[in-house]
Amino acid sequence: MRRSDLGEFEEVVLLAVAALSPKAYSVMIAEELERETGNSVSTGAVHAALQRLEQKGYLTSQLGEATAERGGRRKRLFTVTALGGRVLSDVRAVRNRLWDRIIPNIRLEWS
Amino acid sequence: MSPPRLADRFLTWFCAPHLREEVLGDLHERYVLRVQQLGETRARRRYWRDVLAYMRPEFIQRKPQPYPTPTNTTMIRNHLKIAFRNLIAGKSFSVINMAGLSVGMAGAALILLWLQNELSFDRFHTHKDRIYQVYGLASAVDGQSVAISATSQPLGPALKKDYPEVEQATRVKEVDNFLIRVGDNRFTGLQGAFVDPAFLDIFSFPLLEGTKNEQLSSVSSIVITEKLARKLFGSEQALHKTIQLDSADNFVVTGVLKDLPSNTQFTFEYLLPWDYLKKPGSGWQNESWLSNNTATYILLKPNANVAAFNDKIRDMTQRYAGRQDVWTHFIYPMSQWHLYSRFENGQPVGGRIETVQIFGLIAAFILLIACINFMNLSTARSEKRAKEIGIRKVAGAGKGLLIGQFITEAFLMTCFAGALALLIVQLVLPAFNTLIDTQLAIPYQRYTFWLYALAFMAFTSLLAGSYPAFYLASFQPIGIFSKRFKRTQLGISPRKILVVLQFTFAIILGTATIIVRDQIIYAQERDKGYADNNLIQVNFSGDIEKNYGSIKQELLNAGIATSITKTLTGLTNGGWHTWGLRWPNEAPKDTNTTITLFSSDADLVKTAGMKLLAGRDIDIYNYPADSFSVVLNETAVKLMGFQNPIGQTITNRSKNQHWRVVGVVKDYIAGSPYEQIPPIVIQGPGSSFNTMHIKFNPNRSTADNLAQAEQIFQKYNPTYPFDFRFLDEEFAQKFDNEQRTKTLAGLFAALAIFISCLGLFGLTSFTVEQARKEIGIRKVLGASAANVVALLSKDFLKLVLFAFLIAIPITWYSMHQWLEAFTYRIGISWWIFATAGLLAMLIAFLTVSLQTVKAALVNPVKSLRSE
Repeated sequence: MRRSDLGEFEEVVLLAVAALSPKAYSVMIAEELERETGNSVSTGAVHAALQRLEQKGYLTSQLGEATAERGGRRKRLFTVTALGGRVLSDVRAVRNRLWDRIIPNIRLEWS
Repeated sequence: MSPPRLADRFLTWFCAPHLREEVLGDLHERYVLRVQQLGETRARRRYWRDVLAYMRPEFIQRKPQPYPTPTNTTMIRNHLKIAFRNLIAGKSFSVINMAGLSVGMAGAALILLWLQNELSFDRFHTHKDRIYQVYGLASAVDGQSVAISATSQPLGPALKKDYPEVEQATRVKEVDNFLIRVGDNRFTGLQGAFVDPAFLDIFSFPLLEGTKNEQLSSVSSIVITEKLARKLFGSEQALHKTIQLDSADNFVVTGVLKDLPSNTQFTFEYLLPWDYLKKPGSGWQNESWLSNNTATYILLKPNANVAAFNDKIRDMTQRYAGRQDVWTHFIYPMSQWHLYSRFENGQPVGGRIETVQIFGLIAAFILLIACINFMNLSTARSEKRAKEIGIRKVAGAGKGLLIGQFITEAFLMTCFAGALALLIVQLVLPAFNTLIDTQLAIPYQRYTFWLYALAFMAFTSLLAGSYPAFYLASFQPIGIFSKRFKRTQLGISPRKILVVLQFTFAIILGTATIIVRDQIIYAQERDKGYADNNLIQVNFSGDIEKNYGSIKQELLNAGIATSITKTLTGLTNGGWHTWGLRWPNEAPKDTNTTITLFSSDADLVKTAGMKLLAGRDIDIYNYPADSFSVVLNETAVKLMGFQNPIGQTITNRSKNQHWRVVGVVKDYIAGSPYEQIPPIVIQGPGSSFNTMHIKFNPNRSTADNLAQAEQIFQKYNPTYPFDFRFLDEEFAQKFDNEQRTKTLAGLFAALAIFISCLGLFGLTSFTVEQARKEIGIRKVLGASAANVVALLSKDFLKLVLFAFLIAIPITWYSMHQWLEAFTYRIGISWWIFATAGLLAMLIAFLTVSLQTVKAALVNPVKSLRSE
């Protein structure tokens, strides 16, 4: 499986969708990422990443309900597809394997 | 509380429509959150940043539509296809329409070509905005000012010397009586001019051969045009060759100019240096400030103050001549020379611009008539097209689309008509050029021409197509399919107005033609007061004057001529004008009247066939005292108030001479045949003689007379070719201008009538088509063919009658204005209008009957058989 088509930001967004499911849409994700990382994240960037992920088949979307603060506009809710889920666990497995190979004292030196 | 509206507007503008909802929703929701977290000010700032973050191709790119969208080109292609099909479907309609439109366009294009030529007169000079002609402004005795285009010879150099504003100055004195020869190649009567060397610096006539600034510096240099160079030297190079003038002086060609364009007021074929004018004994030079015989042109420096300069030079001649009772000066810019050349009371009051305007108006009229035709025929077809429009509208065509379709149709038609018009113009142009005496050509090689042509066609198609387009496109589909449609929506009144308008133009032009024609005939049939058949005029050149006595004797002895006289100028030229005559019991008012001076040696009355009313003719050979004798014409006798004119004495104060009246002749036309006959005083050989008149022996053939006369003239004046003019031809030339006006007015009247009739023809055929069943029923019920024709024609003839009523006052007013320019003129009588009106009615009736008679003769069975 080629995983180079999953950028770092995309990966985080994909993870956030999985974490926030079934209420994942761009505002929620952006807020969540802002909280977690402390950097400001624009909905535009998130939205674009979501679109790309959907195009790649990792996400599906449907229009959700409209709320007053949205001015009566509907939101687009995203859910992770099976393919998306597999990609996520693949990524995680790779990382775990690499983490496990790091010599413990190096880990200590970082802190 | 709400997010920045401008940001929303901006986002809505750039964001793809299918994403707008979610994007805006997200933004607004987040904004609400931010306001809670950060406060409104910062939320707003962040909002802008968020909006800008959406400026990515993913959000900007529009979603491709699942259905094909008709682009403009497909629609235009469709329009063109439909237009083509319509043209072919209604062949006769298309032919009529195109014929009218192309003839109209060709007429308008011809006029526009001419207008372009007129408006571009002398606009090609590099310094065109700085070139001025110096005028004199004399006050006549009656208090009116008279602008004089001629100036004195010393004025030009003095202007250049005295005023730093003057960059260059040149004098131009035209000559046409030189004999020009190179070897055996001899020419007389060519137009030339004495000019200062600055002439070629001021005016931009391009040089083909020779270097600039050296052309006219030497007294024996000459500059010629390409045309003259070809005449004299054939294909050889003309530069540095020698030309002989009057078998006396030799000139070296120092420059060859490109032929003068048709749009310049100068007509010379060669230029001579001003210094040559000073040739002793020639009598050309006149250093007096009080003799106006030369045109003076100046080139002002850039940024010179024209008004201030005018003030400075006003009293130039008064200062130099040391007199207060002479003329003042002013300068007149080059842009005004050609179009505004007429002065009244010292003020420019127009001139050729009036003709230009009238023809511009006629061009507009012709084009308008042609366009009206187009509109008329298109709307007349509206019933046939109505169903099509209805279906189109039902199928979803908007008004704009339908308008586009009809305009395309009009444009296609105009393009065909335009191509046809170009062909017509190309074919007609040579004849048109001869008619109006110009050298117009279609400037094919200039891209601006094609641009203008395209613009012209676009304009025409808009003009012609807009009315039918808007008219047809505004049909309501629900109305089209209902039975009442014919009466309600196909209102005939706008079309009627159009027909009336068309015929009004046609009748105005037609009537104007008749009036111009009558005026010319009236002036031509005016009693000339002399007999000009078999009468020729030979201007003095070379040795003719010296050998006048011998030539006269030989001509008379050989029986070629019955009578010969030498005179001041040609009879048709009039004579010289003078104001300085005094007579007994004169009234001051009368002495201010211009009197025409003429002179003759003897036999003038006999030669010219004038009628002597009292006394005798001047004859210095039998009455030596006749050098101071005069013959008056009737008008002069009336002016001077002589009861018994013979023996009275007239005083010429400026020459201090006393003239005795010896005879009175009947009034004869001297000068313009349209003017009042001026008071004429024919004196003995007081002034110079420039020409001789010969009355040929009417019992011999003119060809014989001419051949033998030529031999005699060649014997006594061998260097010059025998140059003569028939007086009746000279007289006929005075009508050239009006003849031309007549021909042009007639031409355009014919054009207007032709186009109008085409329109009427087309319109009738549709009306007849519509009334087919009605005609059938009427015939079944017993109407005769004549009844039916009358019924169908009545409406159209009413329109023509109405047009006629409108045309009368317009024509009367404008032709009255035109006739005002002539002193000897016709009145506009009612029968001219009656003729024109009857003619218009007749033509209209014939046009209409072509269709109506055919319809009236159709067997009713045919039209009623199927329903």
